[in-house]
Amino acid sequence: MDDKQHKAHRPSQSGAKAEKKKGKGKEKQHGFNEKAFAPRSGRRAERQGRRNAERDQTRLHVPLVDRTPDDEPPPVVVAVVGPPGVGKTTLVKSLVRRYTKQTLNHVQGPITVVSGKKKRITFIECNSDLNSMIDIAKVADLVLLMIDGSYGFEMETFEFLNILQSHGFPKVIGILTHLDLIKKASTLKDTKKALKKRFWTEIYQGAKLFYLSGVLNGRYPDTEILNLSRFISVMKFRPLVFRNSHPYMLADRLEDLTPREEVRASKGKCDRTVTVYGYLRGTNMRLGSKVHIPGVGDLQVRSITKLGDPCPLPDADSEKRRKLSEKQKLLVHAPMSDIGGVMYDKDAVYINVPGSFSRGNNEVPHGEGERMVMDLQDVNTTLDDAVARSQIRLFGSSSKPLAVDPGPSRQHSGSEDEDEDEEDMSGDEDEDDFEGSEDEEEWGSDAELEGSEEEDEDTEDDGEDDEGGNDRGRSAPRNVRRGTRGLSTGHDRQGKAVDFADSDSDMGDFDEDDDDEDDVPRQRTGARVRFGDEEEDVHVQSDEDDEMDEDEDEDVPQWKKKLSERAATAYEEHGRKRRKDWIKLIYSSSLTPEQILQGDAPGQEQQGGDEDDFFTVKSKGTVGDAEEVLDMTKEKVDAEALKAWEDEELLDSIRNLFITGGSGSGDAEGGAGGDDGYEDLEGGADFEDLEAQGGDGGAPAPGNHEASRAAALAAKKELLKKKFDEQYDDPEASKMDFYDEKKDEIARQLQLNRAEFAEMDAEARALVEGYRPGAYVRIELADVPAELVENFDPAYPIVVGGLLPAEERFGFVQVRIKRHRWHARTLKTNDPLVFSLGWRRFQSIPIYSLDDHSIRMRMLKYTPEHMHCYATFYGPVALPNTGFCAFNSLAGDAAGFRVSATGVVLDIDRGTKIVKKLKLTGVPYKIFKNTAFIKDMFSSALEVAKFEGANIRTVSGIRGQVKKALPKPDGAFRATFEDKILMSDIVFLRAWYSIQPRKFYNPVTSLLLSDKGRWQGMRLTGQVRREEGLKTPQSVNSTYKKVERAPRRFNALRVPQKLQAALPYASKPKLMRPQGKATYLQKRAVVLEPEEKQALALLQQMRALRKDAVVRRKQKQNERKEVHRKKVAKEEAARSEKDKEKRKEYMRAAGMKSKREADKEEGGSRKRRKT
Amino acid sequence: MAQPVTVLHFSGHQYLRHRLVLSILSGKPVKIDKIRPDDKNPGLRDYEVSLLRLLERVTNGTVIEISVTGTALLVKPGIIAGGTVVHECPLSRSIGYFLEPIVMLAPFSKKPLQLTLRGITSDDRDLSADLIRTVTLPHLQLFGISEGLELRIKKRGAAPLGGGEVQFLCPVVKQVKTLNFVDRGRIKRIRGIAHAVRVSPQFSNRMIEAARSVLNRYIPDIYLYSDVYKGEDSGKSPGYALSLLAESTTGAMHSAEAVSVPGGAPEDVALTASRALLSEIRRGGCVDKQHQVLVLLMMVLGSEDVGRCLMGEPTLRTIQFLRDVHQTFGTSFKIVPADKSDPESTELLFSCYGTGYVNANRTLA
Repeated sequence: MDDKQHKAHRPSQSGAKAEKKKGKGKEKQHGFNEKAFAPRSGRRAERQGRRNAERDQTRLHVPLVDRTPDDEPPPVVVAVVGPPGVGKTTLVKSLVRRYTKQTLNHVQGPITVVSGKKKRITFIECNSDLNSMIDIAKVADLVLLMIDGSYGFEMETFEFLNILQSHGFPKVIGILTHLDLIKKASTLKDTKKALKKRFWTEIYQGAKLFYLSGVLNGRYPDTEILNLSRFISVMKFRPLVFRNSHPYMLADRLEDLTPREEVRASKGKCDRTVTVYGYLRGTNMRLGSKVHIPGVGDLQVRSITKLGDPCPLPDADSEKRRKLSEKQKLLVHAPMSDIGGVMYDKDAVYINVPGSFSRGNNEVPHGEGERMVMDLQDVNTTLDDAVARSQIRLFGSSSKPLAVDPGPSRQHSGSEDEDEDEEDMSGDEDEDDFEGSEDEEEWGSDAELEGSEEEDEDTEDDGEDDEGGNDRGRSAPRNVRRGTRGLSTGHDRQGKAVDFADSDSDMGDFDEDDDDEDDVPRQRTGARVRFGDEEEDVHVQSDEDDEMDEDEDEDVPQWKKKLSERAATAYEEHGRKRRKDWIKLIYSSSLTPEQILQGDAPGQEQQGGDEDDFFTVKSKGTVGDAEEVLDMTKEKVDAEALKAWEDEELLDSIRNLFITGGSGSGDAEGGAGGDDGYEDLEGGADFEDLEAQGGDGGAPAPGNHEASRAAALAAKKELLKKKFDEQYDDPEASKMDFYDEKKDEIARQLQLNRAEFAEMDAEARALVEGYRPGAYVRIELADVPAELVENFDPAYPIVVGGLLPAEERFGFVQVRIKRHRWHARTLKTNDPLVFSLGWRRFQSIPIYSLDDHSIRMRMLKYTPEHMHCYATFYGPVALPNTGFCAFNSLAGDAAGFRVSATGVVLDIDRGTKIVKKLKLTGVPYKIFKNTAFIKDMFSSALEVAKFEGANIRTVSGIRGQVKKALPKPDGAFRATFEDKILMSDIVFLRAWYSIQPRKFYNPVTSLLLSDKGRWQGMRLTGQVRREEGLKTPQSVNSTYKKVERAPRRFNALRVPQKLQAALPYASKPKLMRPQGKATYLQKRAVVLEPEEKQALALLQQMRALRKDAVVRRKQKQNERKEVHRKKVAKEEAARSEKDKEKRKEYMRAAGMKSKREADKEEGGSRKRRKT
Repeated sequence: MAQPVTVLHFSGHQYLRHRLVLSILSGKPVKIDKIRPDDKNPGLRDYEVSLLRLLERVTNGTVIEISVTGTALLVKPGIIAGGTVVHECPLSRSIGYFLEPIVMLAPFSKKPLQLTLRGITSDDRDLSADLIRTVTLPHLQLFGISEGLELRIKKRGAAPLGGGEVQFLCPVVKQVKTLNFVDRGRIKRIRGIAHAVRVSPQFSNRMIEAARSVLNRYIPDIYLYSDVYKGEDSGKSPGYALSLLAESTTGAMHSAEAVSVPGGAPEDVALTASRALLSEIRRGGCVDKQHQVLVLLMMVLGSEDVGRCLMGEPTLRTIQFLRDVHQTFGTSFKIVPADKSDPESTELLFSCYGTGYVNANRTLA
């Protein structure tokens, strides 16, 4: 209204108001109100504090090692699970669209996308087959459990949750779909509430449940999917124990490598060689162990190869940005779906080009496949021409490029050149293969160390390689490679003994000896001859060499003369010896341990007889040695070597290894980092003394020495200072509670794990620690059943689970088991059951048992209700504490809840201790006072002998003992009892008969079937009979018959007269004779008086009248009731009519729905066909 | 029904013990052939058969098949059962021969093992009972096997006739700890046991004197105990021995021992033992050469983490053991010089990635 500016408020600068304000402000500034933060009462404060402390504890969990690498973790497996028709495919499509902006037509197999800077996700859709659900439950990190909101929970959902529970329970997010079908808002609210409540009881209170409203453009609404993806991205995963101790892989795709010819020859029935591709998960996977593919069986891994990541995480340059770049967002790896127009099948790769394919259309981003096809179309020159035009130079120093002159003859030579060239380029690896690996490393280090020698050796090595090519171009990369390995050392080759350099079969030996700058007299000269194409070089010893050997054998004085020298300098020599590459020597050479230790040439032993003594007695070596070489822990004491210890210098040279010995000028001091504090114990004099003598060991320059001393002193001071700081500054800070300590320990170990092998090259690293989780690998499997390939269906997940050494064996597995309360029938001993245990799914025959007072394991015929019991079955071993679930049938059409039991593994053994009760009965045939002869219990005296001394009992509870067999009736025996037994008694002997589960193991080979849901294991006998239409054979003895029991006659109880007389009246038998004479009444007849007769007649008439009245009344009533009945019937008819109508309506709606679904599916396929 | 399992295949009579141990631990059957095929007396020796018997008794479900000539052997291992076992060792080898493989197996049995062995307690081929008690068992403690671990020497028995008895008690563990032992420290004390049975007790004092003459120059903290067994407990043959143990500041142990030879002087035995100890110390490492195999095995069996240990050069047995481990468990070691800057040092750093071996035999209930 009015634009007039108001005057701004000016707070008073002085006066009471200003004073007041200031005071208030000050108070606020201080922010310290004692009353506000002090507890009202001490008790309350204490309670509050306790509550806080307790709440603090709830966040703690048992520290678990998380073995997934931080730098490049494997993609998180997100499984989409739910009953058919609930919208799983739509969800996967929507999520993939959200992450990659690509539309999938065809969701099959795992789909990997990059979801963040350090995070990838593998989506996999789980079909409704129980086998797939089990496999998925074992590998999924996060489960998106889809529930049809308009229908509610279905049996599959609950089954899946129970499977999840027994295999470690990964994270679950529930997703309600089809909510748009509920029209009424209040119903929707109620449904949501009810479903949420049920979901929470199943997972945990507060579990996340998502609502997806409807489908737009074949996808869920973008905002809802965005929200869901946010929830997925913040999800934290706690390592599950089983997965944290097993390597595993969810196979992206599968490829058959079997030679086609072999397949053809065997008509496709031969075992296949198959490779599977995927990200490794869990722990490191090492060669040498078996893997299990659920649904197939245990398979031998032939090789593992690390491949380039098909869906790599964003690298360093894009890392600088806060968000994932748009380019990265397009990355998706889904070989079995049709991403980018490429689809992998088991034996082929399909490339789809869309129907409207046109070359000029550049604004549409092309998929991988399209580009491939286009590139192929673009090519207008052949490979041959390309080679001819190329400027490839064989060596860096070569001035002329490789020339390919045209003509038919050069074709061959050209290719050869290329081969060689390739060999060159790829570095030494190829050569290793050709020349035997043991020599490679050796001359490698030579090459590095001795420049002059290097050239010689290399040229000789490449003698066969190329005549014209000088090797300079190649030495560089080789050096680099070795450098990374960190194995070469700065040694001089000065060893006068037979050192490792000779062990290796390179040929520059003459040079090498020239290089030796030792003044040691040369004992031997080696000359080597290379035989044409043999792989190993042969070392032919010269005569001198032989002499040397003889010397060693016979202890010729010359050798002894040298001995003193040797002994004196044994240590130095030892150290000066060429440093060996132990890894190579031990793991990839065929040298015997003796040769490795002594550094002998392999040829020497093999070539024991050279030309001179071609025929040697073989047993000479073996027999003589065998007597000597025992499996001993202690090595033979070498008296001569010990003699060396008489030498004072030698004795003093190891002083520094003792705490009294001083620092010892750093030589051989290795790891004694923190112990310098000890050296002062003995005082400086000793230190000085040692130093004077210590000079002979390392003999560094004195100046250098001083410097090192100073450095050592500084280090010591530093250490002491640190220690002091730790002790006096903050003693509390260093103290940690148990939890933090454990966590710290785990973190330190992980740090060490990462650091230890970091600098090794990939190949050696794989040898030592296996392939790490997160790596994309190709696993070659041998002897895979042909059916896996023939009946391959990408909709069924292939899980490759690594087995621990213990899990490859078989034994009796004892488990604690509980029948699932929703499973309708009890489980019976000796009925086959399908177990899902560890990676495996298999059928086995359990025997149920219960611990009988800790004395015995007693067999149970049936599982108890609502109670755990034990079960023992034969099968593959799983580690104790592994959970499992069991099924009677895996078939999809099985009625009711299919999870029949769950439990946990307790024990592994090779035998079982389960017993069942066996009652042997017999009858007495002669009874003495406490002794009786019993028959019909055993059939021979031998059996009786076995049971001598066994406890027996009669039905009436009289206990006794088996004594001895009787000669006459076979199997009869004498027994004594605590009292006289009756002839009518049955005597029984309670024994325990031990039983073993049948050794039956039948892996569920569902992936090998063409119809994967139709796996049929061993059937029950009754099932077989039903299906074959057979009658149950019945034993005659098992049928129920009327029991004919002769009436028992009991003799009268006779109390002797004398006793009767002595008894008191109350106890006397009251014996009375029956009435003999007729009584008074019996003697007389009764006649009616006339009045009485009249009265009786009247009564009779009245009764007749009444009867008639009642009949008539009833008739009347019936008539009335008839009318009513008719009325009711009419009403009933009307109501049933109404019901019928209603049902009709409902069925029509249901029919419409199913038709719609069918249409939808058909529509999908039609759409597919169109593209 | 069960798929064919991979059979380990070895040749030769050498290294029988650790091959059997590896087979039993890994559960893989092992076939060993060419056992002294060219010998005058081919096939297995009595002590090897006795060892197989012992292993059969300690395990449950083990099937041992020996060929007719005794030159080939097939062992299908069962589970390690443990429990109370008594075994008579033949007089051709000492108790140490049998106890060493048992020490490797016992922590992974179903029930705690109580093994009584009778025979020779110390000879010059295998570790004596003293060394096993004072050195081998502390090595197990590095891996978290400590509570209830004990070796009792009930009676001593010297070489030809034996008559000794030891009792070995071992607890059961779920998993062994990862070892990280790279600091060898410096020797801080030397301990030793001199024992003499059926000879003058003065002998052990003489041994102690002689050993001190060598070792006193290094360190004052030397205690050599004279352990005298009398009467029944002293076995059937005369003999004496000295076992020495040097312990470093970080707990690294080096040991050596020497046993009497007929007609030798106790001083010579002591000198041999103490010089052997010195050469053992000079070899360096955190583990002496007799125990390399044990420590490496436990490292392999450790959790799936990196274990590291500093050792001297591997012995023949160690080298073969490393190869056999590679065959059975697929584990290979990274072996690098401990001190790259120092060309003199022969110490090697062994590191490996444990297999995460869990004692599957242990009962949960």
